[in-house]
Amino acid sequence: MSAVTASDAEGISFKKVASLIWRAWPFYRPLLKHIITYLLINVVSGVLMLGGGLVANDLFNNKVMIGIPLQPMQATLLFLDDSYVIVEEESSSMPEEAEATLLTNLQRETIRNRLFVWAAIVVVIAAAMFSLVWYYMVWIFQMINQNLRVAMLERAENLSLRFHDQARTGDAIYRVYQDSATITNVLQQLVITPLRVVAWLGWGVLLVTFFSPWLGLLCVLTAIPIVVLFKYFSPRIRRTAVRARESNSDLTSRIQEVFSAIRVIKANRAESMVINQFNQDSRTALDAAFDLRMNIILLSVGIMLTATAVVFGAEYLMANWTITESATYLGGVVTLVGFATWNLGAYQSAAGTMVQNAAQSADLARLWGGAQDLIVGLERAYYLLDQEPEVTEITDPIAFPAPIASVSWQDVAFRYGDVPVLQSVNLVARRGTVTAIVGATGSGKSTLMSLLLRLYDPDGGDIYINDTAVSDLALDSLRGNVAIALQQNVLFTTTIAKNIAYASKNPTRKQIEAAAAVSCADDFIREMPQGYDTELGERGGKLSTGQRQRLSIARAILRDTPILILDEPTASLDAETEHRVLQNIAEWGRDRVVFLITHRLSTIRNADQIAFLQDGVIEELGSHDELIADEGGCYRRFVDAELHGSAIHE
Amino acid sequence: MSDIEKNQFDDRLDVDTQISSGEALILLWRSLKLLKYTKGLFAGKFAFALLSIFPPLLLPWVGKVIVDQVLLQKSFGTTEVRFPPFMNPFLDYVSGMAPIEIMGTILMMYGVLLLIFGLRAGGTGVALTQGHDAATQSELALSAGGSQSGGFVGIIETMISIRLTQTIANRLRTVLFSKLAHLPMTTLDDTRIGDSVFRVMYDTPQVPQICFNLSLTPFFAILGALISLYLMQYSYGSVAPELVWIAGALIPAALVVTVPLSSVARQLNQSSRASGAATTNTMEESMENIAAVQSLGGMAQEKENFEEKSAESFKRHRYAFLFTQGVVAIGMLCTTVAGIYVATLVTDLIIAGDLTPGDFSVLFGLFLSLGGTAIAIGMSWINLQSNVAAVRRVFFFIDYPTEDPGVNAIDAPDTICQSIKLEDVGFQYPDGRTALSDINLELSIGELVAVVGPTGAGKTTLAYLLPAFLRPTTGKVFFNESDTADLPLSTIRDQVSYVFQEHVLLSESIRRNLLLANPGASEEDMREVCKTAGALSFIDSLPDGLDTVLGRSGDTLSVGQQQRLCIARGLIRDTPVIVLDEPTAALDPETENALVTALQKAAIGKLVIVIAHRLSTIKRADRIVFLENGSIAEIGSHESMMQQEDSPYRKFVMLQSGASAA
Repeated sequence: MSAVTASDAEGISFKKVASLIWRAWPFYRPLLKHIITYLLINVVSGVLMLGGGLVANDLFNNKVMIGIPLQPMQATLLFLDDSYVIVEEESSSMPEEAEATLLTNLQRETIRNRLFVWAAIVVVIAAAMFSLVWYYMVWIFQMINQNLRVAMLERAENLSLRFHDQARTGDAIYRVYQDSATITNVLQQLVITPLRVVAWLGWGVLLVTFFSPWLGLLCVLTAIPIVVLFKYFSPRIRRTAVRARESNSDLTSRIQEVFSAIRVIKANRAESMVINQFNQDSRTALDAAFDLRMNIILLSVGIMLTATAVVFGAEYLMANWTITESATYLGGVVTLVGFATWNLGAYQSAAGTMVQNAAQSADLARLWGGAQDLIVGLERAYYLLDQEPEVTEITDPIAFPAPIASVSWQDVAFRYGDVPVLQSVNLVARRGTVTAIVGATGSGKSTLMSLLLRLYDPDGGDIYINDTAVSDLALDSLRGNVAIALQQNVLFTTTIAKNIAYASKNPTRKQIEAAAAVSCADDFIREMPQGYDTELGERGGKLSTGQRQRLSIARAILRDTPILILDEPTASLDAETEHRVLQNIAEWGRDRVVFLITHRLSTIRNADQIAFLQDGVIEELGSHDELIADEGGCYRRFVDAELHGSAIHE
Repeated sequence: MSDIEKNQFDDRLDVDTQISSGEALILLWRSLKLLKYTKGLFAGKFAFALLSIFPPLLLPWVGKVIVDQVLLQKSFGTTEVRFPPFMNPFLDYVSGMAPIEIMGTILMMYGVLLLIFGLRAGGTGVALTQGHDAATQSELALSAGGSQSGGFVGIIETMISIRLTQTIANRLRTVLFSKLAHLPMTTLDDTRIGDSVFRVMYDTPQVPQICFNLSLTPFFAILGALISLYLMQYSYGSVAPELVWIAGALIPAALVVTVPLSSVARQLNQSSRASGAATTNTMEESMENIAAVQSLGGMAQEKENFEEKSAESFKRHRYAFLFTQGVVAIGMLCTTVAGIYVATLVTDLIIAGDLTPGDFSVLFGLFLSLGGTAIAIGMSWINLQSNVAAVRRVFFFIDYPTEDPGVNAIDAPDTICQSIKLEDVGFQYPDGRTALSDINLELSIGELVAVVGPTGAGKTTLAYLLPAFLRPTTGKVFFNESDTADLPLSTIRDQVSYVFQEHVLLSESIRRNLLLANPGASEEDMREVCKTAGALSFIDSLPDGLDTVLGRSGDTLSVGQQQRLCIARGLIRDTPVIVLDEPTAALDPETENALVTALQKAAIGKLVIVIAHRLSTIKRADRIVFLENGSIAEIGSHESMMQQEDSPYRKFVMLQSGASAA
């Protein structure tokens, strides 16, 4: 699933980009102070470097190399006396005479030494700042990225299962890693650097205009072919960026799915098949990455060629002016430099600035290419944030009612996709009772419980706790008061103790052990080498199914909730263990509402009420003795089948 | 239970992460060898990179001409400095021209070189958004490529470059993926899926850099440096010999600074990556099990867990980055110090009149490029160390013992299994637990065998021996008369299908799930096995039938339906032996009866082995193997064993049925 399809990539308006930037604001806001500090440091040092560069250029090329005397301010900067300064007799309309006195060798050396001392100081400071400021920048952007990552993961955790059903795990990983990383560049690539480049470019054009308006015009005219190139390449770059991200996401998913299902793949000798699929997905991803880069390169090389060709033209003009010693346009204005007429220093400055301008255009080109990819990635990241959880809380949710009196389903209906699962379910369970839910596989028993947990909302009817609809309760409150031992026995790759304590509020070790005792897990846990601190394997490996089942039950019990759901809790336990576990649970569940989904007759028989689910409704409801009396009833048939099966002798 | 220590980042297998310099060198060598798969591309890249060196060599000298002859209008030969020989054709051409004409010629030359080599337009490269973490930077590294030139040559060299990088990295990641897919069953518990994803996607892309930093980069750096030194010597050797020496000393000096820092660089990088993998683990586990997480109410907990791990991985990455920046800063400082010294020398000479201002451009240009080269070489050594840390993680699993494929398939006889025999078989897990001992068993085609026993008796372990997921630590397993240790793994697995207790289905269509097991299955075959497994009715009731895509959180089908589908998948391979681990645990009695009847029919001509708890499943088997504490307590048919008073099986059954008697 993608937020941006190939055709979407065609149209991208300024407004869209602006909205993307705006959406990044909440993630930047916590770090605003730091960002401003960082920007200030950058701007100040940038201005200093630019200005300093000009001065150094003049000093070095004109004063040291050739020996032209200093401007007054320059002498002050270098702590030198007036003997170094140019003698200003006439105005700059008589440049020939101003050149007459050159500096002595000794003076040139002195200027050079002082200039170098300045340079050394600057470099030392710059080097130290360089490392520290970069570290600061990295820290800032990592924090921003972290904000987005956590927000995305939190949203993903709370999205409905219907969403997750259709999404691949690898895609979530890709979005949280790769796509979210684009946010770190929003400020840099969409705001700061464009502003900086445009500012420098503007300043650069202004500067060369000071030297000659023709240069300025040249710069402006260059913009035309550049814009054309931008317009041509931008949609292509975006299209390929979308493809590149999607195919890499698919590849991540492929890897994740293969390793998830690795046992099955081994058993079916399908390793070669999955390796081939991997190869294909890998190639697709690489090709997409290649295409993206080629487009960007063609754009930037095109722009660089254009801009540099213009520089060459400008250099020709400037050389001409230097040779003929024409006056610069406004070069004498700035007293810090001696560029009233074209000279070596003026040429180097102006040429340097033109080259800079070309480099800035090239930067802009590269930036633009990267920005297209950034926009695409950012949209993919926001996509996750844009998903609304299906199950939402009302504005003023009610707290969970206590003490609990009953749980009831009233006319509950539910469809999964197009398939109707529940038609009209009516069921009431009171505190202190055990309700067994029975029915054929696929009849909707687990779904009934999922609705209680509000993993889904029913399509019709409602579920009530006491007299409050579950949809009026705060979600955290609801799920905090219903514990479930899942049919699939999901355990996590951490210690046994932490598994049992999952989602419980800071239980003590004693409490954990007590819960394990109820589920008859304590014995086998103590036999393990590290006991409760034994690490489980991936997906809870290293335990047999029966052991996992008991841990699952312990986990549910530890939560100490008024409602307990056990979904096939003893399917993999032998009779003896099963008996003990259920006895313990019955004892423990005295003041609670307990739901038991199972096929085991031994378990069902002792329930306070049995609900037989079939064709989406509760066909039969009552105690074992009541239901079994109905000779043609579903429950009776069910029991007969089980007994027949479990009869010792045929 | 295992004593394996976890290192601080979740790894259980890859715990020994520090390597010596010697081992690092070996890894570097192994990475370098990958180049042999890309000879053509490499040669192309080399050729173009070589070509790219030459045009920029002109620049300082032509720049000198611009400054001296054009702008300052001096004539040629006013100082002692000699132009290098390659400048002679140009000099001959422009001798006698007026300054402005010289400029025109220069610019025409520039124009041509601009188009072809992008002279003075900078190099070619791609700057895509990259985050400040190992994962995003690696993805970009996977397709890294560029050129020192611009223009036409730049474009071509970049294309070659990118493909070269991709091919090397892809080669390695395919090998890694393949090895990971072949890991033995016993290690699967200790490998983390997120970690595997991380290694394949984000550790492998660091390899191409190693190849380049050991071949192209140093070669061209040193070549460039030598050329620059030669030029300096040629033109300025007589005027300022000490300059040449200083310039020459830069590169060795850079290495002296960076080499001692190698192991620090490695360690920092390893931590950064391992913490990144730990974050991936958390995310993967959370997302994959999202239904459980939501049911259990663990969303807030998962978020906190992720937040912590993510912050840690960012922090580690920062440290590694700071280290690198620090080294660069030191390099820049050293170069600057040397640079100032050199500039002083040169300007002295200019002021004295031995050199012209134009010479300064040349010399300083040369010196800067040498300085840049020195820093680049020093940094590339550091980067090598960082990359080695990543590559070590890759080779760790490539070197890890995979499942023993057994004898080469070509040499083995064609075996269709008629019987399976276990002779004095025992199994001990790597961490010391004894799961099975003294197993003696003979099973033949045509039987339906049930393996029964209390939880933890070793039933699954015994079943795993049959398709050789585990190999016996003592004793032998025979297919017909052949020891399975002498058979190729492929042959064994072709004969045995296994249906696991945990129902793992791919989140694709039902059809594709079945095709995974048997790519050649026809529509009829599929419907047939689904019918046997009791799955056909519900499949037909789904709107898309066999093409229904199964969702990830498993809600498209109920657990019982999934179970039946897995059984169908086991049947579709039509192997002589089929093992089913708890196939009826989640089924209601009616469905279960139907399934067992179907299995009995399916057992005709096959050996069907079923692990079960439920009496209803067990008692219809031809034979029952009763396991207790890892050994066989009894074997026989249900009736025969029930008739014996002191039969352990009978005791077990009485418990079962006593509990369920009406």
